[in-house]
Amino acid sequence: MSNSVVPSSSSGGAPSSGVPPSYMPMALNMRLTGEDEQEVTLTGTLRPFVAEEMAQVRTSLEQAAKTAKGTLCVNLKRLKYMNNVAFLELNRFVRWVARTRPDLRIKFILSSVIPWAIRKFQVIAELYPAVSIEVYDKAFYPVQPVIEDDEFITVLRTQEKLIWAHEQEILPQHGLRPGLRVADICCGLGDFAILLQRDFRPEYLVGVDHSKPLLRYARQVVSDFGLENIEYQYGDAAALLLADNSFDFVSCRLSLQVFPEPDRIVHELVRITRPGGRVYITNEMLSSVVGYPQQEAIRKGYERFLEVCRHGGVDLDMGPKAREVLANGGLEDVKISQINVTNTNSDAHDLARVVELWIRVAWQFGAAAGANPEMHKDIETGLRAHIDTILSDRGYAVWPIIAASGRKPFRTT
Amino acid sequence: MSIVKTVSPAPPQEAEASPIRLGMIVSARFSVSGFARQWAHCHLLANYLGRYVSANEGDPERHATMLSTFVNELLEIVYRNHAGDGQIELTFRKKNGRVLLQATVPISESQRMFYRMAVQLVGQPDLKTWYRARLEDPAEGEDTMLGLLELVAVYGCNVAMTENAGESRVTLSLHLPEFDDMGEV
Repeated sequence: MSNSVVPSSSSGGAPSSGVPPSYMPMALNMRLTGEDEQEVTLTGTLRPFVAEEMAQVRTSLEQAAKTAKGTLCVNLKRLKYMNNVAFLELNRFVRWVARTRPDLRIKFILSSVIPWAIRKFQVIAELYPAVSIEVYDKAFYPVQPVIEDDEFITVLRTQEKLIWAHEQEILPQHGLRPGLRVADICCGLGDFAILLQRDFRPEYLVGVDHSKPLLRYARQVVSDFGLENIEYQYGDAAALLLADNSFDFVSCRLSLQVFPEPDRIVHELVRITRPGGRVYITNEMLSSVVGYPQQEAIRKGYERFLEVCRHGGVDLDMGPKAREVLANGGLEDVKISQINVTNTNSDAHDLARVVELWIRVAWQFGAAAGANPEMHKDIETGLRAHIDTILSDRGYAVWPIIAASGRKPFRTT
Repeated sequence: MSIVKTVSPAPPQEAEASPIRLGMIVSARFSVSGFARQWAHCHLLANYLGRYVSANEGDPERHATMLSTFVNELLEIVYRNHAGDGQIELTFRKKNGRVLLQATVPISESQRMFYRMAVQLVGQPDLKTWYRARLEDPAEGEDTMLGLLELVAVYGCNVAMTENAGESRVTLSLHLPEFDDMGEV
């Protein structure tokens, strides 16, 4: 019986003859991000057979470290797999920096979505004073504490119920039909996924969200009702772990509007959609909220409300931009629908509860944005007037939402 | 993938009937020669089996990603330390909420020494301090072992080894830590 002649991971030279090539589908990017920060990004999989296969990575890192001032960021937020051979090589690089560039700081940028990463790099951060870790997605979801509030969750469910009554009718126009592979990004409580499962029978459905409490709730519902073919995933909409070109229909509802960088998310939605498949988004259009009587106070209130939200990086008037957003994402055959939730076509008390929540949101955003008392007063007056209108027997109120979808081309230029 | 393997989900009836199969999720058996043909087999098997084992978890994708990290590290060690022929068998069980991976590997005598040393190292007190010291000041030829040690020192896995006298094979047991419903340990 012959023994294997496989070299250890740290042995010198290339793999010996007879040892097959390694497996490292990895992308390496370097970019300058400013005077005081340079960034090297590694994405994909780093599972080399021997350290020498990391030569290109080491060279790039060392090149960046030689010229960097202040902090060198090593961005690993989309590195899904890394073996110990690669990790030790990064550790060697850090030791090299500590020796040759003691003035340089190194920051590993990680994502909380990659379950192994934080613990692994915490060890290096503890060993070297110049090394730090940044969990980038903690900062990318500024409104998360707001939406995880118990009361907010209750209203989210109400909101979902109000919208679904209208949305289910337009979804077929946007390409949804039974038997598709569907991804619902920023799925929140998962109600939309469950309703899709009931009414559109997808072949497979995955809901992704960055809120653990909301996902736990969503899973509980799926479990309680014994539903199948729905999978929920903790994930980052701006750096999804889902494969390229893997879904027929990708939805992202009432979510792009709450992110400071919606284009990054659209890029991901398009990436995971198969050519010919459709990306479907919805966003509010609060500048066009209708309320009669007291139209003037209501308009003024919403204008102020939008202003405060924009300070927090939230654009609750994103709806009309949908066509541009999808076109910028490289999509074609863009279709637009308007969903009008009114106090005559929906439960008025439910609609009033949604507006009541916005008043609370406005206070939270207002406090963060340093809004003055007059602004708060305008918002509260306007939105309370809207509630009065909604609940009035003679009033008419509309909550407008723009739904839009675009098709991913078969060939991209 | 060209390796010869059998992957069989555990029949529930058998699991009930046979204590040895209690909690079994899946087992895979493949030839050393097929496995050793490509380094990529470690990655592919780790991902495939990780995904299979994670199918019923709260967050299958994250659970599978974490599991793949552990399984791949073990498979890489097996890839570097096995006899020239024979069969490798992997068995995944779940007991008390924790996954147990057992890998039975044909070995030579020198490889037996390697595995004994590795298991002895991971059993030492204050392993984390020792592991950190090795990262700061690595010793020649220890890289392969550090992968296994990291699983224990950083992620809280347990590693054990079973060997029977006269048998040219060893069974490595990797007790994985408990995962939460979000696929985190």
